Amino acid sequence: MQRRDFLKASIAASAAIIGTSASAGVTTQPIDNREVSKIAFPEKKPLITYSDRPPLLESPRSVFTQAITPNDEFFVRWHLPEIPTHIDPNTYTIKIDGLVNQELNITLNDLKNNFEQVEVVAVLQCGGNSRSAFNPTPGGVQWGSGAMGCAKWKGVRLSDLLNQAGLKKEAHWIGFNGQDTAAYYETPNFVRELEIEELDDHVIVAYEMNGEDLPYLNGYPLRLVIPGYYSDSWVKMLSHITVTDKYKSLFFMDIAYRVPNNETESETPEEKFPTTKPITVMNVKSVIGYPLNGTTVYLNSHVVIRGVAFDDGHGIKDVLISVDDGQTWEKAELDNKAGRYAFKTFRFAYKPSTYGKINIMAKAVNRLGKEQPFAKDVLWNHGGYKYNGIDVVQIHVI
Amino acid sequence: MIQKITLITTLAVSALFAQVKDDIAVPYIPYEIKMGKGFDAVQANCLMCHSFGYIINQGPQSKEFWVKKTEKMVVHFKAPISQEDQDKINDYLYKYYGNGELK
Repeated sequence: MQRRDFLKASIAASAAIIGTSASAGVTTQPIDNREVSKIAFPEKKPLITYSDRPPLLESPRSVFTQAITPNDEFFVRWHLPEIPTHIDPNTYTIKIDGLVNQELNITLNDLKNNFEQVEVVAVLQCGGNSRSAFNPTPGGVQWGSGAMGCAKWKGVRLSDLLNQAGLKKEAHWIGFNGQDTAAYYETPNFVRELEIEELDDHVIVAYEMNGEDLPYLNGYPLRLVIPGYYSDSWVKMLSHITVTDKYKSLFFMDIAYRVPNNETESETPEEKFPTTKPITVMNVKSVIGYPLNGTTVYLNSHVVIRGVAFDDGHGIKDVLISVDDGQTWEKAELDNKAGRYAFKTFRFAYKPSTYGKINIMAKAVNRLGKEQPFAKDVLWNHGGYKYNGIDVVQIHVI
Repeated sequence: MIQKITLITTLAVSALFAQVKDDIAVPYIPYEIKMGKGFDAVQANCLMCHSFGYIINQGPQSKEFWVKKTEKMVVHFKAPISQEDQDKINDYLYKYYGNGELK
């Protein structure tokens, strides 16, 4: 018996003797009010900092009163430790090769001058956002609710680039690779592959975020923008697009960012579902930006509850607010100018009329009628993906 | 005439300016990690690729979780960690960042 096998066997044996508590996964509110770091990262305000290498930064809840998340407060998530710390915009090129009629090396200048320039306001959210809500704790960064943001992205359509290169008829998969690298040569790159059918004209290669160059930590000078999709496919520092006919086996595609392949996308910690599927499009979600947990307000004072809501682009129809633990709900005012992929801001005038602790809840409903479940009704999955429970903040009325 | 030519030349080679001058520097954050038996193996192997922050922010986890995590680093990320060091790392992580459950 190999040593490792022995270890596994002994773990199994001990578990049998002790008897594991056969509980299903439990879901609660994600961890909130983590403190921002004292140390600011390049082009960023100090944010909640889980790791410096690779950088993992979360936006504090208070950011989510705004329709657009400022660049310096936008969350950061890299997978590989080595990020280029210098990029020369005059020599940077993006290469398109594989099953194309003509290989292309496009400079930033070409992109900005020789293609139609397009803009989209879209939410970027990590698939593991709010992971700390799940128990037992799934592996991965224990995000609160701030691994998300909304920006106006400017760039060119991916389809225009691919048309210029000319796709061969066998073309089926498009692979995207960025400039980040690992410490060891053998470590797989963070390559993503998407099927051509998944890509529409809303997918862009963006060089601008909220009217400025992309911050380095958000993928300067170019990143993929796939409105409606979780951010795992929004490759940063995009430098290489490869067109293929067959899907390549990739760690970040086959193992990470996947949920159980069943209707409820759920499983129990004891009995993991045997097959998985990619997380792809975002579900309906809202986050309260104000008040914060622990905010103290006076009785009969005028409180404006604010937050943001979004889905995968079907559009938010309503955001409902409850101040009586979910017994009754009232509609919040919505910003009706927001695009379908953008944060829709909501506000709700609230005058607290009882003393003590009050739970404020927000629940978004989209145009398909899909609505957020209570946190306790969000079903567990081993990766801690796609949490979208009704957000709750507790305030003190004095 | 000379001025005009100069102007055209300037336009033709007009550079793109990054909003950041020079190189960026990602700051080092001194994450406080617990000292104990096996820490040397953690320092020697894990830090090659990621910060201590990435470890301690996984939340308290079972022995099996840490064993699989280390295995993932070796199998998928190709980290050259010996079996001996893997065992030391797993014992350390379970002792200091464990949840008391084997599985």
